[in-house]
Order: sequence, then structure tokens, then C-alpha cells
Amino acid sequence: MRVPFEWLCELTGIEASVDDVATRLTNAGFEVGAIHRAGEHWDRIVVGEVVRIDPHPNADRLNLPTVNTGSEEIQVVCGAWNFEAGDRIAFAPAGARLWDPYADEPVLKELKPTRIRGVVSRGMLCSTKELGISDDHEGILVLDSDAPLGQPLAEALGGEVLEFELKANRPDALSVLGIAREAAALYGTQVSSPIPDHRAGEHGPSQPVQLQIDDPALCARYSAALVHEVKVGESPAWIRDRLEQAGVRPISTIVDATNYVMLELGQPLHAFDWDTVRGGFIGVRTPRPGERLVTLDGQDRELTPETLCIVDAEGPVALAGVMGGLDTEVTDTTSSVLLESATFDPVSIRRTAHRLNLRSEASRRFEKGLPPELTVLALRRCVQLIEEIGAGRGEFLTADAYPEPSDPAAVSLAFDRIERLMGVAYDRGEVRQALNSLEFGLDEDGDELCVTPPFWRRDVTAPADVVEEVARLVGYERIPDTLPTGQVMDLAPGEIDERDDEARDVMAGLGFAECVTYALTSEARMARLVPPDLLDASPDTPLGDADAWAAVHESAMDDAGRALADRLLPLDREPLRLRNPLSMEENVLRLTGLGTMLETLRANRRHADRDLLLFDYQPSFLARDGDLPEEPNFLTAVIGERVSAGRWNETGTVELPFVRGVVDELLSRSGVPADETSHDDLQHPTFAAGAAAAVTHRGNLLAAYGEVDAEVAAAFDLDERSWALLVDMPAVREASAGPPSFSAWSEYPSALRDLAIVVDAEVTQADVYDAILRAGRPLLQSARLFDEYRGEQIPAGKRSLAYALSYAAPDRTLTDKQADRAHNRVVRALQHRLGAELRG
Amino acid sequence: MQERLDALLTSARAELAAAADDAALEQWRVTHLGRRSELTGLLRSVGSLPREERREAGQAANAARRELEEALETRQTELRRGADGAQVDVTMPGYPVRLGSLHPLTRTLREIRRVLAPLGFRAVSGPEVEWDRYNFELLNIPADHPARDMWDTFHIDDKARPGELLLRTHTSPVQARVMEQIQPPVRVIVPGKVYRYEDRDASHEAEFMQVEGLAIDKHITMADLRGTLTYFVRAMFGPDRELRIRSSYFPFTEPSAEAEMSCHACNGDGCPVCGGTGWIEILGSGMVHPKVLADVGYDPDVYQGFAFGMGVERIAMLKYGVTDIRSFYRNDLRFLRQLR
Repeated sequence: MRVPFEWLCELTGIEASVDDVATRLTNAGFEVGAIHRAGEHWDRIVVGEVVRIDPHPNADRLNLPTVNTGSEEIQVVCGAWNFEAGDRIAFAPAGARLWDPYADEPVLKELKPTRIRGVVSRGMLCSTKELGISDDHEGILVLDSDAPLGQPLAEALGGEVLEFELKANRPDALSVLGIAREAAALYGTQVSSPIPDHRAGEHGPSQPVQLQIDDPALCARYSAALVHEVKVGESPAWIRDRLEQAGVRPISTIVDATNYVMLELGQPLHAFDWDTVRGGFIGVRTPRPGERLVTLDGQDRELTPETLCIVDAEGPVALAGVMGGLDTEVTDTTSSVLLESATFDPVSIRRTAHRLNLRSEASRRFEKGLPPELTVLALRRCVQLIEEIGAGRGEFLTADAYPEPSDPAAVSLAFDRIERLMGVAYDRGEVRQALNSLEFGLDEDGDELCVTPPFWRRDVTAPADVVEEVARLVGYERIPDTLPTGQVMDLAPGEIDERDDEARDVMAGLGFAECVTYALTSEARMARLVPPDLLDASPDTPLGDADAWAAVHESAMDDAGRALADRLLPLDREPLRLRNPLSMEENVLRLTGLGTMLETLRANRRHADRDLLLFDYQPSFLARDGDLPEEPNFLTAVIGERVSAGRWNETGTVELPFVRGVVDELLSRSGVPADETSHDDLQHPTFAAGAAAAVTHRGNLLAAYGEVDAEVAAAFDLDERSWALLVDMPAVREASAGPPSFSAWSEYPSALRDLAIVVDAEVTQADVYDAILRAGRPLLQSARLFDEYRGEQIPAGKRSLAYALSYAAPDRTLTDKQADRAHNRVVRALQHRLGAELRG
Repeated sequence: MQERLDALLTSARAELAAAADDAALEQWRVTHLGRRSELTGLLRSVGSLPREERREAGQAANAARRELEEALETRQTELRRGADGAQVDVTMPGYPVRLGSLHPLTRTLREIRRVLAPLGFRAVSGPEVEWDRYNFELLNIPADHPARDMWDTFHIDDKARPGELLLRTHTSPVQARVMEQIQPPVRVIVPGKVYRYEDRDASHEAEFMQVEGLAIDKHITMADLRGTLTYFVRAMFGPDRELRIRSSYFPFTEPSAEAEMSCHACNGDGCPVCGGTGWIEILGSGMVHPKVLADVGYDPDVYQGFAFGMGVERIAMLKYGVTDIRSFYRNDLRFLRQLR
């Protein structure tokens, strides 16, 4: 909402500076987003008068006006024709700076004397666009004939415009008068209302206008005024200036008058060419089946049943509150006009405007809910204005339908309610003055205050609303700083789990950089997580269809892979889809963050060749029928091929055990006992065959990790081996045994024994390790693998594993003999159970 | 004899101190301890001394020899340490350490939680995909209310319940969820991701983080709100920060207030960070609307309280001097490592 400052001052009598007014209104809740200052750059531009217009000797489309600047006469070359000798215009002599009307961005350019088709031009008659007033570059700006000759234009025309940020709760503030009321209350001045009093002696309508409202819920009031002897033409400059400053394009007398009143009072008006309205009848109703309307923009529209319409005796003539009809439009030949001033249902107007994508200054006001009292006032003002500018002669009110009149309800509250809510005392005089200045009616009964809002403040319906009026009028500076006291609350539902913080800390401690990624993604991005030939994907179904996935589940996954696909990486699930995506790149909510993380890995790979360890700990979205989706916090980590190890430039290559180290640490720090989990082979198309593992706890999948399948990596443009880790943190929480518990160790020296064995390659480390632990009881304290070997020095199909074993007793120092005996038991068990041979 | 030894030791020590490298040391060794050295000569000559002098002279010469040998060793060590000292260049960079980092938004969120925890605020979370009812209706924003224009909303395409599922546009729905489940006193903050149907640019994101605060009890006032916010900005941005609040509008608070703090970069003098005004808009707030309280089953004549909400990226941008909100979601390691 743009309010010319001089207009505001005219209605309020305020003499303060524009900055002061802007600040005080902003603090009171009417935020001034910007102050536009027309004329800021008009250093040499003056009011000039066109003395005569000579033809250009060499160009028919140009003319040569001579301009009297008050001190001299200057001839210029001009391409516009919308002025005559004797007109006052805005004149820019050479050396003045103007906005370049042809530049895309606003640019000020200095005007230089130029020769145009052989004639020298030493200045310019300005358009509003060159002056920076509006975007209109058709013709030059013709000023009022009483603009003082030679006066700097900034004095004649310049002025500040306050641009307000609109709030949804105050339809009255969508008007100069509404803002003026607020400003007057703040400055203690009186608003001089532009609305003329009811005209005495206006008898009966000149012509019958029959009004009919079918449903008062959709149209509370419909008022109309007839204007005769209409002269459609250009409005006077003062009206055009104000409209332009307020951001409304001047069109012609009648339309300008209705727009002017809308800006001034907040009530949108519509003008029908009365001679085109059939049957002397205006109705408000929803359309009958098959009814159509050609609207002002030339579109022939089929009217849906919920579209509120204005109709004449034969059919629709306008979309109520949204757009007029072409057939009843006011034109140059119009001789009488019916002015419509109505109160439409905000919801109906809002829906229609949204549906047809026709949001306008009018619909924006209607949808905030206008007071029915305003219709007749706006008509009076509009008719008076039309008469004032000589554009017609009319009646203040010809017809009025207001089937169910209603008044704003009074609000009662105790005086001390204000202090109770605000935490600071207001004396009663202050309260009265604040509310009086906003024209609230007051009635007091002891400590009770009964407040009747003025008709334009239907937003005030409850005690808190009244408190706010008092507090903001007195000023929020009054409010002191205190801290809330009282009882501590109970444990809250949905309390944030501190363990989420801990998981992040663990990952950061393990060298991973935390990423926060978008939840919105595309199916294509997720589809890249499986090799392209696997799914028979199409642009319509980038994630494949049920049949394709059934085949993938059958052929490309083992049980662990299927468990992974069931939840942590559920690519065959239907993702939640946006009805209104910003782009097809982000049209669904993610099922997994892995696609985005591989992209992030790739992006960072461009500037780093090592230590690419990233994790993301944000929810995935798994749809549930008839309920909100599940939003499990899955942890997704990705790792590049090389990591720093040792001296400056030394790096190691990430292999599966590197990732396992991360998993084990995370699980252990999350309280999952290592001896209750199991790492097993994982076959899933996202991961490379034979280089991936699934971690389960009592059969439940906790995590999956491994090398990213080469084709998948290539699909993400990754040029090196990459590793991924997916952790179902909610499942980890389930598996947690809680805080760690202490167990004592032996205070006596340990006996250390190394053990190197050769076993069949199929025997897993876990088998060996379990066998060692079991056979070593009770003296074996720990067994640590320190090497694995396959190769020439042992037979093919075999592998060698080496462990460091530590034996101790809780109550004594072990003798060598005792330690040997225990160790031999372990060796024999391995030989016996796993066919292991000792390696020499 | 003793005199000669003393003289010899004195000059040998001086020469040794002057010897600065291995070659000089070797030269010194040959001169003073070599077969043709004076000391060797003296030692050899002991045998020719009278018997009663031999013992004493021999001991003195041997002592001198041991002393010179030790001095040589010491000097060698000294020199070597000097040479090694040059090799151990303490300005060499350390070996690479693989320490990870927390995202700056995580760090900012934690700081906000840490600051508000002593005032009794517990952190809770809620769903990001929400029902229209929680995101709007229970916050006094009925369907078709023009206030809905304040939040450009992503809607979920849901055939079973069209129009009901959406991506929450603020963390405020969690207010209603908490109040539905527990009776006052309530004191919570709600950090979390929110979504707006909005084109991205340097200052706008379609996905961003918010923190909501809510305090409800019998006597919580607007002054308590102001005090809490003042406490907050001073804890986050330094003890010199001033807070000012001005009237605003949110459908779920009445009265409503926009809060600004004096610019931490220029102390209120005006600079590019605050757009020259000396003040920075930091959050929206107000006293919880009686309708919101009533709709969750609280008696608005008994209970009252405040709510506030802020953008976490905005706080982090101010704190770390980040100028493009999208940087937080690009996850460039160079950014993440700078702000860890």
C-alpha cells in the first residue's frame, strides 16, 4: 500500500517530517517498508510552458516545441504529441539528469545537447518514466495549468510516498484514511474526513434501480448510485498525480474517481455503463448452469457454480469483487453510470481471485473483510468527486440492499486485565485517551471497561485486542524487562533426544563433516542409486514400477539387501509428492539422503583429493496410509577413496574395515553391545558385490555399509571408489543397552601370547574370534586381530589370521605354565573346531 | 708438569669452544689427543720422571686426558644437538589430523538451546509433514483467511485427504501439539526445519530452520517476553546489545511484536550489516492468542503466555558473517571447515 505523504498530511494536519511519521507508524504496527522520494534527483528540472510548437523541417514524426523556462526560451526536439502550446510541462535542460527509460535497470543519465535530424535540441520535455515517477513512457507529463512557471519541479510535483507492508488483520489500513486515523491518534491531531455529509433534499431515485441479493452470507450489502451526464476524459492532474504516486495507473475520469475513492477509503467501487445494464436490475448471485461472461480482459469465461457474480435482468455482467464484464465497461461514449459499492464475502472473493489468478487491489481489500457501513460513505465521496471534477452529476445513493444489518460487538474487560497481560501498569486516563484517540466508544462500570469499536475496526473482538490497542498506542517502550518465574514444567512430549547430539559428536570426532541437506529431492536423483539397466525406468516412473522392483528384489538382493530396501533404502516406496513443486528437481520428499550425499561428495571432490568424510543426520519421509508419514532420522555417511594417514602427504585407501571401524564406534557409543550385533554379507544393487555388509541386532537391521557400486558411482560422476554408510538411528536406540556399565579388570600382570593360524578361506574372522573367546575362558582377557594374510606363503584357498591374546587371573599373577595351558586350550579348540593349523 | 697441563687444558678448552663443525673437532682431537699431541708427549714423558713424581704426574696427565676426552664428547653432543635443532623446524606443519565438524546450523541451534535452557525451556521436536489443522487452523488461521498469504505453502499431493497434508511453514504447529498433551506450566523451544514455497536467493530459502519458543502459565506477561528476548540477544550477541520491540501482527499472538536488536557489528552506529539503521530485525513474537489457548483446551481467562520464533540461518548469518543463506545447504567443506 503506497500512501503519498502530502495526502496523509492533508487528512491529518500532521506537520512532522516524513521520517518521524514513518518511524512512529512502524512502531505502532504499520510497518513502512520504504519511503520513496520522487524528485530526489531532479536538480535542474523546472516547470516550463510550451510557447509554440514548430514542425521539424526534416522529420514528420518529430516537432520543435519552444519552452519558456521562466528565465529563457529554449527550443527542443520532441517525439511526443500529447501537448499543446500553452501547456505547462516538466522541462529538463541540458545538464539535468533523468532516468533512462530504455534501460532494464534504473539508471540516471545526464542529458546532453544533441542534434536530431539536423536540429539541435537543448533540453527535453519529460515523461513520467524519465522522471522516475512511474513506468509510463507514453507521452510527456502535462502539469496543472496553475503550476508556477520556472519553479523547480521537485517543489511543484515532488513528494514522498510511504510504502506500507500489508498486514492481514487490518482491512481499514488499506486506505489513506485508515492510515490517517492511526497517524492522527499517534500525533493527537484530528482527522478531517473527506466524506461529504448526506445531501439533504435528494429525493428518490431519478430512475428505478432494482437490487437483489440472493444470499446475504455472500453479499452483506449492495449499494448503488447513478451518475448522469457523464463526461469520460482525462482526470485533472492532481487526481492523476495521487493515483500514480499510489501506484495506480490513471485511465479516465470515472474509473480514476472510483480508484481514488478505493485508495482513500478502502472501499473498492465498480462502474457499470448503465445503458448496457439490462432491465434496470442488478442482482448478486452464483451462476446458473451454462452461464458465461466475457470479462474486461477479453476472456470468455465459463462460470463455475461457486463464482459469485453480478447479474442484470438477463445474466452475468461482472465477477463480484474480482473483475468487470466487457459489455458493461465504461467507455468514451458512456453517458450514465451505475456505481457499485458492496460488501462481499471475503472467502468467496478470495477463492475466486485465487482460482482465476486475478488478484487485484480490489480483491485484496474484499478478502480481508470490509465493513458494510462503508458502502454508502464511499458512494457519497465518489459522486461528490465526480461532480467536483465535472465528470458527471449524480445521486449520493440511488439504491441500497442491506438485508441483515449488524453492528460491531462491544468488548468488556477489567481495567487490570491490561496490566495482567502486559506486566506493566497503565493508568486509566491513559487507557481512555488511547482508545478515544482511535475513536472507540467507552463505557465504564467501576473496574469494568466496555469498549465499542468504530465500524471500521471489526478486527477488535476480544479483551486481548483492546489491550493491544492500548499498548501500541502508548508505545511498547513502556514494557520493562522481567524474566518468567514459576514452576518448572513436566517432561515434554517429543523432547529432543540428547543422544542425537551425541551421535553427531561421535561422527565429528571420527573425522566426518556434518552436512545439512535438503529434504526435497527428485525421483531421478534417488533412481541413480541403482544401476540404470536394473530398473526399466522411464521419465514417468524414474524409480521403476512394482514389477521391476520385484525382479530386483528377487535377483539382485539377498535377505540383508531386502531388509535394507525395506526401510533404510526404500527406493521402491512411493515417495510423498508435492502438489506445487518449485521445480521437478525437488518435487518429492526424500526416502533416503544417500543420493544428495553422493552429490555432495562429488561437489567437494572437485576441490579436495582426500579426507572426504561427510555425514547427514536428517529425517527421511516414509508415507503411511491415512496418517502423517514416519520421519525417521537416518544417518547417512559417505567417504571418498583416500584419507590422510601418517606424515604430511601420506594417505591410506579406504577399505571395508575402515568403515566398519566407524560403525563399531558409533554403535558402541550408542550403547549397542558389540557381542549382540552381527556383521554379515550384504547384496544390494547400490553397493558393490562382495564389498558391503549389513549390521543386525537380534535380526533387526541397524546399519548397512560398503563400497558404492561402480555404475552407481559413475552415475553420480564420482571418479574414484566411494563408500557409504547408512544407519537406522531409531533402530539403534531400540538396540541400546543404555549407559555403559563398569566391569573391573585384573590388577595382576597379563601374560601375552601371539597366535597365528591358517584356516580355510571360507572360515570367517567372526568364527575364529568367537572360538578363541569361548575356548579362552576364563583367563583370556582380550584377543586382538593384528594381521590377515592370503598369498604365496600359504596354500591356495587358505587365509592366515594373527591375534594378540592376553591372559590374566583376577586374584593372582599367572605362572607361565598356567598361561601356556590356557593358550594351548585355545589352539586345540581352533584346530579341532575350525581345522586351523598353527602357522610357524 | 702440573703447570704445563693447566696451560694446555686452558688453551685446549678455548680452542674446543671455537670449533664449530665436525672437521674442526677432528682437527682439535688430532692436535690435543692425537699420537703427536703435546698431552700424549707429556704422558709418554712420565716414564722418564723420577720415581717419586711419576705416580702423581701420571694421574694428573691421565686426568687431563679424560677431561679433554669428555670435553670433546660434550662439544660433539652440543654441536650435534645444534645441527639436529636446525632439522627440527618447529614451524613445520603438523601431520594431518582427521577431525570432523558440526554444521554451523547445528552449532547455532545448540547455542540457542544452551542459552535458553537455564530459563527452563525444554527442547522438543515435531513432524515436518503436518496437517493443515496444526499448521494453520489451531493457530487461528482458518481456511481462506488472508493471513495464509503470509506463508507460501508446499502442499502434499495426497489423494486420500486432499489439501490436508503440507510441509510445515513454521515450527509453530508444535506449540499446539505440546499444549494438547500437557497442562501448564509449559516452557518449550522447538527447533526444526520449515518449508516455504519461495524461490531461492541470497536471503531466501525454500527450506530453512526455525526455533520457536513458548511459555504458558498463569502470570506470564509481555514484560516477561521482553525480558526473555533481551536475555537471549545479550547471551547470543554480547552484553551490550539493546532490544526494542514494536507492534506487529501474527494471527496466533495478540498483542504481537517484532523484535530488533542494536547491531552487533557497529554497536548501533549504522553499517552495512544493519543497513545503516543500527538495528537488526531478529524475531517475531507476542502473547499467545486466547483463541489458540482455547482451541487446545486451556482456559484463556486463567492461562496466558508468550511465543516467539526466529530463523536459525539468520542468527547464524549474523554470528558468522555469512551473506548467502544458500551456503548452509551447499555443504562445501571449505565452508563447513571455516565455521566449525
